[in-house]
Amino acid sequence: METADVVIIGGGVIGTSIAYRLAANRKVMLIEKGEIGAQTSGACDKAIFLQSKKPGFPIKLAKASRMVYENLEEELGMNIEFQKNGGMIVIENESHLDFMKQFVKQQNKAGIHVKLVNQKEALAFQPCLSTTIAGATYSPEDAEVNPLLLTQAFAKAVKRKGVIIRRHTEVTDIVIENGKVVAVQTAKGKIATELVINAAGPFAPKIAEMVGIGLPIMPRRGVILISEKVKPMIHGNILCSQYIATKHLSHQTDDTSYGVGLSLGQTESGNLLIGGNREFKGYDKSVEPEVLSAIARHARRIAPSLDFIRIIRTMVGFRPFTNDGLPIISEAPHVKGFIIAAGHEGDGIALAPITGLLVASLVDRDLRYKEFLDQLKLDRFRAYNVSPN
Amino acid sequence: MIQNMLICRCEEVLLADIVASIENGAGTLKAIKMETRAGMGICQGRTCRMLLEQVMDFHTDINVQEANNLSYNNPVRPISLANLSRSGKDSEP
Ligand SMILES: Cc1cc2nc3c(=O)[nH]c(=O)nc-3n(C[C@H](O)[C@H](O)[C@H](O)COP(=O)(O)OP(=O)(O)OC[C@H]3O[C@@H](n4cnc5c(N)ncnc54)[C@H](O)[C@@H]3O)c2cc1C
Repeated sequence: METADVVIIGGGVIGTSIAYRLAANRKVMLIEKGEIGAQTSGACDKAIFLQSKKPGFPIKLAKASRMVYENLEEELGMNIEFQKNGGMIVIENESHLDFMKQFVKQQNKAGIHVKLVNQKEALAFQPCLSTTIAGATYSPEDAEVNPLLLTQAFAKAVKRKGVIIRRHTEVTDIVIENGKVVAVQTAKGKIATELVINAAGPFAPKIAEMVGIGLPIMPRRGVILISEKVKPMIHGNILCSQYIATKHLSHQTDDTSYGVGLSLGQTESGNLLIGGNREFKGYDKSVEPEVLSAIARHARRIAPSLDFIRIIRTMVGFRPFTNDGLPIISEAPHVKGFIIAAGHEGDGIALAPITGLLVASLVDRDLRYKEFLDQLKLDRFRAYNVSPN
Repeated sequence: MIQNMLICRCEEVLLADIVASIENGAGTLKAIKMETRAGMGICQGRTCRMLLEQVMDFHTDINVQEANNLSYNNPVRPISLANLSRSGKDSEP
């Protein structure tokens, strides 16, 4: 039987980032059911947004991750298209203006550089926007990265560090003896290990079930329209104030709006990424045509100059949603050797760099990130904190 | 040089890029696509998919039928954003 010090389940941006930090002094195996980065981490936007985060701990976590990005490209030795282009939240109509004024005040207090700009200033920065918008907020701290390249860069770096990556290999069971992990069963054989990291993103609950743990993570579906290549026309990422409202409302989105809120960006190769929406539809990838047209309708209202740009395909992903918007980075309460690192919802790209460091610190039992890890424990969800006896 | 042969015209991916990605361990069309961008352009692989299959067939002993794990998402043909916005059932008149 093969053996490993650590088995990481899931080769998305989170699993590969963790592998990168754990590889230094351990035999690490990363098991991926399909291709590296082909699930959520390959069906998402590229925003590293700071201005949209909630004050308090979420901002602190996002800032810590953003700091790691400063040198990441150099560290990984590969271009990941990290760009500090700033970000904008469009305020579509006057009715959102008060709410967004309040939002800016609150974010400034929390230490984020973000300011309200009027329609003229917004259009000067983003000429694609409609002359009917009420204004926007702008932050120079928002950045972007190519998520496909990021995951590939982590994967390449870990291979250099000796991590064994198994693609097309599904984990089917986790073997427990006396309350301790002893092995991981895959469709292609068994691996003896005392430590498993569940980095399966939206699929993490299925992995946790294998050791009898229920995880409060739900797949929250999102769709992005991808356009043909066009000349550079969008600077940094654009959200709309509706997106902020939708993002911060955790209850079921209503059916007529399909949870639509604009997210707009342009890749370095020139394709526009036009999103998006938030819906709870299980793991169903077949998106109704009405949702696509609702996204298109919303986008052209805010950016009418996109009207004649051709959409060539769409991509669908499942955000690993938790009801407080924060990931779970935690040991399992009753199983020794089982760590959960999942539930990053719509921030997994932004939070991937810090997640690797947090998990490494948890495994090493140093206290460097205690303050962070204390806030990310599984037992903060009370319903899952019932003791077995 | 045959290595400079263009396989994916939309994304300008050369035969050499595809072969390098296969040598790096890409074993399926999706893996090749994600690494090289072949098939991601405006024609969405309509031209290059057959070429890609041939390259895989030639350079690997992988069963190409099994290795074709690409899925095809809507829209099937390029459509302007304006037209897409009118195509759903409950769009405004
Ligand atoms: C539409 C959309 C837009 C987004 N935009 C942004 C953004 O702008 N910025 C941002 O920061 N975040 C964004 N996100 C969120 C981000 O994409 C996710 O938080 C992140 O990709 C999650 O990464 P992950 O590695 O946890 O999950 P995944 O990428 O899904 O990786 C989990 C992996 O586990 C594998 N797996 C599952 N089951 C098994 C098994 N049994 N055995 C082996 N392997 C298994 C899967 O195949 C998968 O590859 C967006 C998400 C969506 C859907």
